[in-house]
Amino acid sequence: MDILTGILTTAFLAGGDLALAALGEVLAERAGVVNLGVEGLMSLGALTAVATATARASPALGFLAALGVGLAFGIVFAIATVTIRANQVLCGLGLTLVGTGLAATLGRTYAGRPSPVTFTPVRIPGLADLPVIGPALFNQNVLVYLVFLVLPVALHILLFRTRHGLNVRAVGENPGAADASGISVARIRFWYVAAGAALAAGAGAFLTLTFVPSWSEGVVAGRGWIAVSLVIFAGYRPINAALAALLFGFITALGFVGQARGWPVSPALLSMLPYLGTLGFIIVPVLAWRRMRRFAAAPAGLGRPYFRDLR
Amino acid sequence: MSYRIQRRPSAPASTAIMARIGAAASALVIAGSILRWSGADPLALGRHVLAQSFGSRFGLEDLGLMVSPLLLTGLAVAVMQRIALWNIGVEGQFYGGAFGATAASLYLSGPAWAMLGAMAVAGCLGGMIWILVPTLARAYADVSELITTLLLNFVAILLVYYVSTGPWLDRATHQLASTPRIAARVPSIWGTVHWGLPIAMALAVMLAVLFGYTPWGYEVRISGANPEAAPYAGIPMRRRIIAVMLLSGGIAGFAGALELAGTVHRLQGGISNNYGYLGIMVAVLARNSFLGIILSATFMAVILNSGIVLQTQGLNANAVLAVTGLILILTAIGDEAAHYTFIAFDQRAA
Repeated sequence: MDILTGILTTAFLAGGDLALAALGEVLAERAGVVNLGVEGLMSLGALTAVATATARASPALGFLAALGVGLAFGIVFAIATVTIRANQVLCGLGLTLVGTGLAATLGRTYAGRPSPVTFTPVRIPGLADLPVIGPALFNQNVLVYLVFLVLPVALHILLFRTRHGLNVRAVGENPGAADASGISVARIRFWYVAAGAALAAGAGAFLTLTFVPSWSEGVVAGRGWIAVSLVIFAGYRPINAALAALLFGFITALGFVGQARGWPVSPALLSMLPYLGTLGFIIVPVLAWRRMRRFAAAPAGLGRPYFRDLR
Repeated sequence: MSYRIQRRPSAPASTAIMARIGAAASALVIAGSILRWSGADPLALGRHVLAQSFGSRFGLEDLGLMVSPLLLTGLAVAVMQRIALWNIGVEGQFYGGAFGATAASLYLSGPAWAMLGAMAVAGCLGGMIWILVPTLARAYADVSELITTLLLNFVAILLVYYVSTGPWLDRATHQLASTPRIAARVPSIWGTVHWGLPIAMALAVMLAVLFGYTPWGYEVRISGANPEAAPYAGIPMRRRIIAVMLLSGGIAGFAGALELAGTVHRLQGGISNNYGYLGIMVAVLARNSFLGIILSATFMAVILNSGIVLQTQGLNANAVLAVTGLILILTAIGDEAAHYTFIAFDQRAA
């Protein structure tokens, strides 16, 4: 396997969790709710996956269990932010603290132990023999196909090609108008927030079941926050979110290659790359292409609780 | 007569404060119930924590040491809330300040008082530099400060890890993962409690005056409350945003310098003890009142200290982080609930 193929293969694995978390955040934000709890949800998902895989020896069950835990915490978050309409920023930060704290507390017995089972590559005959991209794209595990091929396209069609998706976007842009035309703002927000949270926890499971196959306290290491930032960079579009995540997987993979080949840069400094890269990618486009702002603008109702009587 | 529930546009202060006390109390009750369910005796643990924290001079000194960083990081968050911006990067600015102060102590020399002054200035500068990019991005490109400030936390932690295990590693005494002991230290006033505590309290009072009683502070509040109207009132929004964000970063950096020169005396990873994140809690619990922060910082110090005490009982310090997050969510819920009131009305009249 040549170097480029190696980097690409790692990029899909390193970017997969970011893609899944970012897709979840696209769902919540398109419906008008900012969920800053992604980091905490990923921690919970990462631990749930390892714990389930240890007990049942099945990566699929581990992934499903993480989705379930994410859905449960997402429902609690939705009750707080959508039903009670509490401040979304505070609830999100709170959820991150609860998630990371809880996962670290409950996960002590699993710390440092490798996941006993992981998702193994599924080779797609024919396509996997293509030069360079073949092994990287068509000899990956099921989750990679799900996260980079199936979900982005499915969510794009759901949001931009169906009547239901139009309703969801209306709720995010102008909940008052959506409400007036008979769309249930609270119901759509509630379930999109909950589903987004499930995907965020699934992203944690992606991390511990494929990319870093073990649980440790700092395993998520800010990747949840990077995922939230990628959503802005991707202009709140599912396919762009997956591509942006792949780009970040690529940056992370470059850092690995740097360490493996003994570049004269400290690993700590190489580890800064994804965070600095994210920072650059959310600031530079806004400065460089001011006219692009409308194209990449956030949903107008984002972050604001909807009160019918204040319409 | 019948009653109906109505939402008021703003919650009265007394109800909002009760909501905060209620949120903190319910979080502790929930945490206690979980402990009980997992087989521990929460009441005995609680008594143990109180006895360890307030029952001995040693415990009180520990509390006093924790209040000043929490007070300062809380002030840093509250300052930016005055202009309706979130500083989620206090943790990173704290590390930036500790880094700056260490650099000053390693590369400068002089009498102790001059060194302390230089470290304080370098600490403030470190914090300001750490918030500079988010500040300019916010002021000139409308990039949300929420995520830009936060991402730099990870960079700051990695930077401090890098210098304390690499270029600035203490090679003389073979201290692993830490710089040499810094020369100057903040004088103590009571046991291990140093002058940082009264200085932090004085800063809280000064900020309360600055934001409450000066035209500048008034303009900042107007800019935060109504960004559309502020320019029409002749308020230079951009300059106010830059000044307030740099002030916030400077306070956070000062907190880092003070922690280094007063308590830890060596730059090392984990020097912040999550003070930056807990500062968000401190500011929120105090409703961003600068004087209220003195109370909420003391409350958070007790919570943080209980985590340390509970560690000796075999519990994990991360459990404290989870409880803090629970308080944050319940406070947000309580805040919203405080807007609602029962009003009585006469059905015959209606």
